[in-house]
Amino acid sequence: MSNDVVIRADRLSKRFGTLTVFEDVSIEVKKREVVAIIGPSGAGKSTFIRCINYLHTFNQGTLEILGHTIVGGHNHPSKDVLQDIRTRVGMVFQTFNLFPHLNVIENITLAPVEVKKVPRAQANARAMELLEMVGLPHKAEMYPKRLSGGEQQRVAICRALAMEPEVMLFDEPTSMLDPELVGEVLAAIRRLAKEGMTMVLVTHEMQFAKEVADTVVIMADHGVVEKGPAREVLESPRTERAQSFLHRVLNPEEVPDPLEQEVLPIGGRR
Amino acid sequence: MHIALEYAGTIGVGGLKDVALTVVSLILSIILGTLFALGRLYGPWPVRTLIYWYVEIIRGLPAILQLFIIYFGFTQWGINFSPLTAALIWLVAYGTGYAVEIFRSGIMEIPTGQREAAAALGLSSRTTMIRVVVPQAYAIMLPPLTSFVVLQLKNTTLLYLIGFADIMYEARLGVDATNHAAILYFMAALAYLILSLIIGRVGVRLERNVAAYR
Repeated sequence: MSNDVVIRADRLSKRFGTLTVFEDVSIEVKKREVVAIIGPSGAGKSTFIRCINYLHTFNQGTLEILGHTIVGGHNHPSKDVLQDIRTRVGMVFQTFNLFPHLNVIENITLAPVEVKKVPRAQANARAMELLEMVGLPHKAEMYPKRLSGGEQQRVAICRALAMEPEVMLFDEPTSMLDPELVGEVLAAIRRLAKEGMTMVLVTHEMQFAKEVADTVVIMADHGVVEKGPAREVLESPRTERAQSFLHRVLNPEEVPDPLEQEVLPIGGRR
Repeated sequence: MHIALEYAGTIGVGGLKDVALTVVSLILSIILGTLFALGRLYGPWPVRTLIYWYVEIIRGLPAILQLFIIYFGFTQWGINFSPLTAALIWLVAYGTGYAVEIFRSGIMEIPTGQREAAAALGLSSRTTMIRVVVPQAYAIMLPPLTSFVVLQLKNTTLLYLIGFADIMYEARLGVDATNHAAILYFMAALAYLILSLIIGRVGVRLERNVAAYR
C-alpha cells in the first residue's frame, strides 16, 4: 500500500443470509482526498461505509485501513486493532445518534476523556473550540433534545472531530434534516474538506458532491457502476446505469408517472 | 379511640421495619438485577440459561411458597434462618427476579444507534455499558421501577407468616388481643397507603428530573 493511500477496499462483499447487500466493491481513498458515494437507496452505500470502521462485518474481500488489514469472512480483527481504527476514524450518522442523557459538551468530551485519557479541562477547552467552529458555543450546556436537527448534526461532527481523527466518514449526514437546515451542516463539512481532512461521504446532495468531492463513486444494484473524478462522473457518466440514475436525480420532474403508463379507472375495472 | 392510640406506636415501629427492609432489599435487588440483566443479555450461554431459569422460577412460584421454602424448608438441612434473615433473603431473591426483567427490557429499548455511535468513537463495550447504555436504561425503567418498589413494600405483609414483626404482624397481634379488627386493619391499611404514596411521589420527582433530556 503506497504511503498515500489511507483506505483500500478490495472487492468487498456483504451478504445477510441469501440477501446480497453489495458485491465486489473496491475503492481507494488517498490522504486528503474526499470521496463521495452516491446512488439509489438500497444500493448498499450505508452498509458499505459502515464496513470501513467495522460497525458491520463483511463476507469477502480485503480492507486495508490505516496500516491494518482485515480479511472478510475470517477472524474478526482484535479489540486493539478495532479500537485503533475507530479512534483514528470519525463517523457522523444520518440520525445524529447523540447521547441524549449527556449535554453537548459531555457528548463531545466523553470519548477523548474515556478512550484517549485527555485531561478533563483540556477536553473541555478543545470541545469549546470545536463548537466555536460550527457556531454553537452558546449551546454547550444544553441537552440534545433542545437542539434542532441541524444543530445536533453539527454537534455530532464536533464529537467525532474531538478524537482528532485522520479520516472522517459521513453516512448521509443531511438526509434526516429539514431542507432549511441542510446548508449549515454542509458548510461544516465543506470547511473540513478545505482544511484537507480525508473523507468518505455517502450523500444525496449531488451539487455538494460535485463541489467538495475529488472522486465520486456511484453505487447501484449492489455494486459500483462507475467511479472517477467528481466532475467527470457527474457531468458525463460513461455507463448507462449511471446515466439513468443521474438523469432521474437531476430531472425528477421528467420521471414518468407510473400511474399514467397504465391508466386504471377507480375501482380497478377496465 | 384509645385502641388506635395504643397501637399507633407498635404499628408505626412495624412500618419502620418494613421501610428499612424494603429499602435494603431494593438496593441489593437493583444491583443484582442489573448484573443479572447484563448476564442474561451478553453472558455466555450457561450464564444466560441459568438466569433465564432463575427468573422463571421466581416469577412462576407463589410468593408464600418461596418464603416458606427459605424459612421452613432449609431447616431440614439444619439451616435455621432468623425471621429477619429469611425475610431479607427472600425479598432480595424475589426482587432480583423481577428487576432482571425490568432492566433487560430497559436495556433492549436503547436504540442501536447509541451503541454504534459509542463503538465508532472507540469506546470499549464496558465503557459503553456504564456511560451510555445503563444510564439511559435507568431512565426508561423508572415507571416500572416505581411500581416494583410498591410491590416489594406490599410483599412485606407476607413476612408476618414467618413471625417477622412488621405492620401486618403488629395489627394481627392487636386484633387477637382486643378484637378491634376494623380499626386496627384500617390503621395498617393507612400505613401502607401513606408509604406507597410517598414512593409514588419520589418516582414522579425522579421522572421529572430525567424528563430534562428525554
